[in-house]
Amino acid sequence: MISLLQGMQGMGGGPEMRMARDLALIAPEIAVLLTAVGALVFEMLRLPKVALPFTVVGLLAATALALPLLGTETTAFMDTFRVGPLGVWAKLALLPATALCALLARAEVRGTDREGTVYALLSFTALGALALAGAGDVMFLVLGVLLSSLGSFALVAYPRDERSTEAAMKYFVFGSVTGAVMIFGLTHWFGATGSTLLSELGRLEGAPLAAAFGLVAVAAGLGYKAAIAPFHFWAPDAYDGAPVSVAAFLSVVPKVGALFGLAQVASDLPAGTGWPLVLAALAALSMTYGNLAALAQENVVRLLAYSSIAQSGYFLLGVVAVGQSDLAVPALVVFAAAYAAMNLGAFAVVVRTGRRLGDLAGLGYESPWTGAAMVVFLISLVGIPPLAGFFGKLLLFGAAIDAGFVWLAVVGILNSVLSLGVYLRVVVPMYRRQKLVAARPAPVARGVQAAALALTLGIGLLAQIFFGGGG
Amino acid sequence: MIPIVSATLFLPLLGAALLAAWRGAPPRAAHALGIAFSGLALLGAAWLWARGASGEGFSQVEEVAWIPSLGVAYRVGVDGISLPLVLMTAVLFFVSLVFSAGIRERARSYVALFLLLETASLGVFVALDAVLFYVFFEVTLVGMYFIISGWGYEDRQRAALMFFLYTLLGSLPLLLAILGLYLGSEPNTFDMRELIANPPLTGLAATLALLAMLVTFFVKTPVFPLHTWLPAAHVEAPTAGSVILAGVLLKLGTYGLVRFALQMTPDAFRDLAPYVAALAAFSALYGAFVALGQSDLKRLVAYTSVNHMGYVVLGVAVAAAATGARAVALDGAVLQMVSHGVVTGALFLLVGMLQDRAHTREMGAFGGLLGVVPGLGWAFVLAAFASLGLPGLAHFPAEFQIFLGTLRVYPPAVVAVLGIAVTAGLYLRAIQVAFLGEPRGERRKLRDLGARETLAVVPLLALTVLIGVVPSLVLGVIHATTEALLP
Repeated sequence: MISLLQGMQGMGGGPEMRMARDLALIAPEIAVLLTAVGALVFEMLRLPKVALPFTVVGLLAATALALPLLGTETTAFMDTFRVGPLGVWAKLALLPATALCALLARAEVRGTDREGTVYALLSFTALGALALAGAGDVMFLVLGVLLSSLGSFALVAYPRDERSTEAAMKYFVFGSVTGAVMIFGLTHWFGATGSTLLSELGRLEGAPLAAAFGLVAVAAGLGYKAAIAPFHFWAPDAYDGAPVSVAAFLSVVPKVGALFGLAQVASDLPAGTGWPLVLAALAALSMTYGNLAALAQENVVRLLAYSSIAQSGYFLLGVVAVGQSDLAVPALVVFAAAYAAMNLGAFAVVVRTGRRLGDLAGLGYESPWTGAAMVVFLISLVGIPPLAGFFGKLLLFGAAIDAGFVWLAVVGILNSVLSLGVYLRVVVPMYRRQKLVAARPAPVARGVQAAALALTLGIGLLAQIFFGGGG
Repeated sequence: MIPIVSATLFLPLLGAALLAAWRGAPPRAAHALGIAFSGLALLGAAWLWARGASGEGFSQVEEVAWIPSLGVAYRVGVDGISLPLVLMTAVLFFVSLVFSAGIRERARSYVALFLLLETASLGVFVALDAVLFYVFFEVTLVGMYFIISGWGYEDRQRAALMFFLYTLLGSLPLLLAILGLYLGSEPNTFDMRELIANPPLTGLAATLALLAMLVTFFVKTPVFPLHTWLPAAHVEAPTAGSVILAGVLLKLGTYGLVRFALQMTPDAFRDLAPYVAALAAFSALYGAFVALGQSDLKRLVAYTSVNHMGYVVLGVAVAAAATGARAVALDGAVLQMVSHGVVTGALFLLVGMLQDRAHTREMGAFGGLLGVVPGLGWAFVLAAFASLGLPGLAHFPAEFQIFLGTLRVYPPAVVAVLGIAVTAGLYLRAIQVAFLGEPRGERRKLRDLGARETLAVVPLLALTVLIGVVPSLVLGVIHATTEALLP
């Protein structure tokens, strides 16, 4: 397939030829779309039992379709959609992550009315995240935010009880406002550059005001999706109101998509507009606020929500360095894969135990393997080697230092210590002698946990693969 | 060719994996497996020792590609500085596991954690790649955290938490320094041999990197004022945990000081050497005086560690200064690491045995122990004499060389020698109060050394005497490297 693609590139070809080439480049996205539609059809046929396997197989097939694209560095549809390391690795990491979330969701929504819609919505939202991660045009940013937001609102509201409805409402209101702000700000970019293409953003050099407007707007719109402080206020409530598996999904897939989208913008925005400093400030704020707030939580889902706000700050270390350090893109890719594995793993354990900190008490004695797995996920989130999170953070810090942001790396390191305090609040009760209160027997969640554990342990050993594709 | 370094390194980890997989292993079997695998690692270390290290650079290097795009690889090997430490580590883990064989509570996890910790500790000493070094360096924290929090004494949760947070905060600056070295090298690499051969940083960058490393290694060593985690961790840790903490983990700090600070930022270290020497001398004296004020035997031994490790840092600082007599001081510093591991390991074991019997560590609660438990008593006296630097025992040749070097380079820093007098005073007082005189009350009848305990302590005492009498056995290996390193 890859040689076919290159062949087509070489020829240039007529419009049909170009169209065929472009469609081949977005084959994974098409597969995700078909998966979502298929899941919906099976739901309508009242066959939720088929909808789940169909979704999982569809997502994995889409992942497989993305594999040959590794190493390509090109664009599709007249530069509006980018097929490069960020976009391709987003597919390779987020689609399996979505599949794992669908499996986790099964443990919670099994037998409920409209079970199949959950799988369809997960796929649609993932599609939005992929649009963000490959964005080469501001329209793709808007499309990605809207697509992933609409699916997410519905997912949060799925249980239809008071808490989830309130959570979805907050999420929705917040999303509409930031979305409107984003579109409003982007019009300034369009006005100043005369184009919606990100590659034309270099023309902003002489228009500081328009550049600043657009930057704030993009930070608000994507920052909301990625739960970056101060655009994070919806996240703890939405995560806590939603089913745990949906919280797991929201904390990984749309977040990584939005951060990669931000990196796409950053790669073209002239540094003269001052964006690196703005994003560095957001990174420091997000890390510090997320960790401090997490220290005060008694609910594991809320704790993980604040921790995910802090982790967004770490991602920003890589975004800040985009264009200034060769390490930036590999850092984002490795950390995204690591973060997906370890965060999903932690949520998979919570699906089985329950949301309160007390629910985990005694876990280390009652089921030593799950306890050990949880410890691995949490200390990987801290960034302790040789686990996946360490390699991500190593590269992120390296990229930040390389780009001249030594102070930001220092803030990141101090925050790692703070985050150890956060995660040990979960670990300590696990090794208290106590009967486990209510463990949900969920064999599927167990499988998800095992897969996440293998990845969290293995990504460090296999880190070279992330550099294979022209990273 | 058998990759003997890697085999030694990963045998304990294999043992840990087997234990993790063996559900419902009876405690006896778990201990047997642990002793067997750490014994195999000890054999491996002895084999490494027999194959030796050539003077220049690193020997027995094994290399496997890992992340070539980043210049990261699995690289291990030994030189005259790491080789004695590898052997010491293997010995201490072996005797710790022998001593621990009485533990029944969750023995499987306990042994598995010790084996994991052994691989991590050995890994720090043999790693020749900065990322690999850092990986092993941090894994030791995790292992020790769970050992203290799982099997420690009364206030273990708090002590374990403090240990983990404090030393993680301490070790992260090293990560920054390593990244700085990496970004400064051309082409970018984490290969420690390259970073040593061509120190990549100069000027302010080198000084900043050095300061970051000093923070990391001073916390670990520990050097005043970064030592405050040590007493709590030692007092709450289980006996074997204290042995490893003092005997092996503290060495990671001083070893890093030699390997990174001295070898990768030599010029910056030379400029800062007077300050480091002054701090080290003060830290050594401080440790001795605080130890003098302790009545808890375990705290006492813990604080003498601050004293002894202060001498090590002093020796390294002297070696960093660009004047004559450098190799002498560095020889002394490396030998002091080995001596301290062996002697303090024995002392912590003996204090732990006393605590097992009497459930207290207050020296005032004991009396006439030489008459009650002669074996244990005389063993303690021998180890205490070694610790206070008696000629003919392990610390003497090391401290002698450190002070010899110091005298030539920084004569005022020799005041630290007072620490020896203070240590002598405090050990003699402890011996007088607890071991001489009349036995007290209910502590009249205590068991003397059992077979398992004898087996754990005797090798360490034998090594103490051996190093004291024939220091050249170890010094020869060390000197071959330091001479090539610091002409």
